[in-house]
Amino acid sequence: MRAILVRRLMTALPTMAAVILLSFLLMRVAPGGPFDAERPLDPATRAALAHAYGLDRPLIEQLGRYLLGLAQGDFGPSLVYRDFSVGDLVRQGLPVSLTLGGLALAVALPLGIAAGALAAMRPGGWADRVLMLAATIATLLPSFVTGPLLVLAFALLLGWLPVSGWGGGDPRHLLLPVIALALPTAGAIARLARAGLATTLAQDHVRTARARGLSEGRILLRHALRPALVPVASYVGPAAAGLLTGAVVVETVFALPGLGRYFVQGALNRDYPLVLAVVILYAGLILLFNLIADLLYGWLDPRAAG
Amino acid sequence: MIYAVDGLMATIGGQHILSGVSFSLDAGECVALVGASGSGKTTTAFAPFGLLPAMAGGSARLEGEELIGCSGTTLRGLRARAGFVFQQPATALAPHLTIGAQLAEAWRQTGAPRPTHEELVALLAEVGLDEPERLLAAYPHRLSGGQRQRAMIACAIAHRPALLVADEPTSALDAPLRAGIMRLFDRLRQTRGLALLLVSHDLPAVAGHATRALLLDNGHVVEAGDARTVLTYPVSREGRALVTAMPRLDEPLPPRPPIGAPLLEARGVSVDYALPGWRRRRLEAVKDADLRIAEGEAVALVGHSGSGKSTLARAIGRLGPQSGGSVHWRGAALPPRARMRTGHRRLIQPVFQDPAASLDPRWTVAEIVAEPLLRLRPELDARQRAEKVRTLLDEVGLASDFLDRRPATLSGGQAQRVAIARALAPEPELLLLDEATSALDVLIAGRILDLLLRLQRTRRLAMLFVTHDAAAARKLCHRTIAMEAGRIVER
Repeated sequence: MRAILVRRLMTALPTMAAVILLSFLLMRVAPGGPFDAERPLDPATRAALAHAYGLDRPLIEQLGRYLLGLAQGDFGPSLVYRDFSVGDLVRQGLPVSLTLGGLALAVALPLGIAAGALAAMRPGGWADRVLMLAATIATLLPSFVTGPLLVLAFALLLGWLPVSGWGGGDPRHLLLPVIALALPTAGAIARLARAGLATTLAQDHVRTARARGLSEGRILLRHALRPALVPVASYVGPAAAGLLTGAVVVETVFALPGLGRYFVQGALNRDYPLVLAVVILYAGLILLFNLIADLLYGWLDPRAAG
Repeated sequence: MIYAVDGLMATIGGQHILSGVSFSLDAGECVALVGASGSGKTTTAFAPFGLLPAMAGGSARLEGEELIGCSGTTLRGLRARAGFVFQQPATALAPHLTIGAQLAEAWRQTGAPRPTHEELVALLAEVGLDEPERLLAAYPHRLSGGQRQRAMIACAIAHRPALLVADEPTSALDAPLRAGIMRLFDRLRQTRGLALLLVSHDLPAVAGHATRALLLDNGHVVEAGDARTVLTYPVSREGRALVTAMPRLDEPLPPRPPIGAPLLEARGVSVDYALPGWRRRRLEAVKDADLRIAEGEAVALVGHSGSGKSTLARAIGRLGPQSGGSVHWRGAALPPRARMRTGHRRLIQPVFQDPAASLDPRWTVAEIVAEPLLRLRPELDARQRAEKVRTLLDEVGLASDFLDRRPATLSGGQAQRVAIARALAPEPELLLLDEATSALDVLIAGRILDLLLRLQRTRRLAMLFVTHDAAAARKLCHRTIAMEAGRIVER
């Protein structure tokens, strides 16, 4: 456990450094700049703006200044949302995305695992077939289809829930986007759990459990489920990072002020500091969740911990 | 009477695989079921308890209660009253539960209260395991093979069953560990009055420990009676075949074919691997090993699992890594693995332990045997190759109707014959046999050994026979070299 932590942290730092460096350079290599609009600015204004943000300095100096700021927790100013710093924007968007993604994960995990376990109880039975068909459909349907369909059904036709907006975090506003976000993840988890359980239930140690006279339900929960969830853990790690840093499509469909839209708009506008901040956040979360997944492996199957 | 089986039958998918098997077990007795693989011995042991996908008929009574034909829930309760030990201790224990948790679960399977720590420690001591504190908190993969099987036995007797069913409990273990497990069973029979139903292909162990033996062939009992008598003086044809196939340490040695000039010489070969972690520690699998093989000579390389014998053989055959030393072929240095030319490759050919795993399941037998010819004998055209494949199959005792079969349709013995034909195809001078008979049951392994003896005479083949079966090594080989912890300790 300690060894895994140390090893992961030792690789995490160079990984983060490489991510920052590469995104910094790639953004500059991409054609266009933050001050290119449909109507070109006159050269003098443009030069003044570039000077104000330090964009006229050598690239290496810009990188140095950025890293220095970063070390002090300063993500720099936004080049497009001129009245805000990138830190302000992230502070606004992140709680929304974290709430949405965290809830979606909290729904998808138990839902997917329960569906997978139920299906694996009787392979080829009707429950197996219905659940796996549902899981496939849930995985295949993109959230820009399920989102509007949910709105159509529950907001417009039935009128039970609001159509869109954040509503200050009102649970009624959250319900539909959480479902739209959770469904594909739950489908994927269900399929992975079902496959993992099918493999585990055919293994020797399950026969030992059967020889002990345990009931099938107890065998499934105590002897098969944990080793069977290893593939689920390796999927959920990166998936969770994606869910938490803003689901662009769902945030757009439901007009939620999350982080996802900053990512897209920032990239389109060449808002260098904004994009870098979101990328760093995303990479950090990926590293964090892969670490959690690693620690989970050790608990799910102690052989993995060595 | 603890367990009485009368006229037991079993069918899988409507096909009869067992009929009319009867025997009974009293407290402290051991009945052994022996026979070739596929003879129905495991089915006899497990089918009445519903642990196989087979339908059981006839009668099997555990402490007076009928197992056959009762409902699933009833059978579950009855099954819990017996104890079971399986062949592979490495996979039969749950990987994610500590030994302590599994023992506690087994202890309570017939409704006993949760065991105290002292009770579990006493149980481990009873099966001969030291360091109970460490073992109770350990996961199975932290235990050695022998410790795992003892832990498995502790689980099987934790709820104080009257009957213990053990399926090949020693076949995954080395010889000294086997003897230890058999002695443990003897002790449990004496101290607990445990009745033991033992499935085994270790005939000497059965003769030495079992009260009675049942010899099965093709789902029928062909011989039954006192274990020592049945296995020493079998009267049935099947019984004699089984007993004679087993190489024994007390039979006279056949004359050895003559030995020619020195063929292969390994000088100071060592193999080490980097251990995971950033401290760059290395595991020395083979240390400074010297080995000589002459033309037509068979050399046995014996040792426990983990002693480095396979690693050494693979390094010599240029199939695995080598970190130090040199290997010479007829006096000239053999190039390292990456720089072996086809001319060198032809000389040394391997046969592996698990024939089913070493043959590509999608290829036909003809393709498998012909493959080495394509590269190593490029002078042959397609017709010559086909002819050669037929001759090779004939040489290993397979008819030409095997040409189009795929590995999945072959038995273990047939698959190993195909693997041997494949190895013979490029006309090697040295055959590397890496546990080539260990995965096969007695009867089949005996026939493969006979085939190797014949090849030794007809082809003047040199062989390096990696094995842990001392009797087989003695039958086939001129010399035996023993390895221990990566070093050659005896020659």
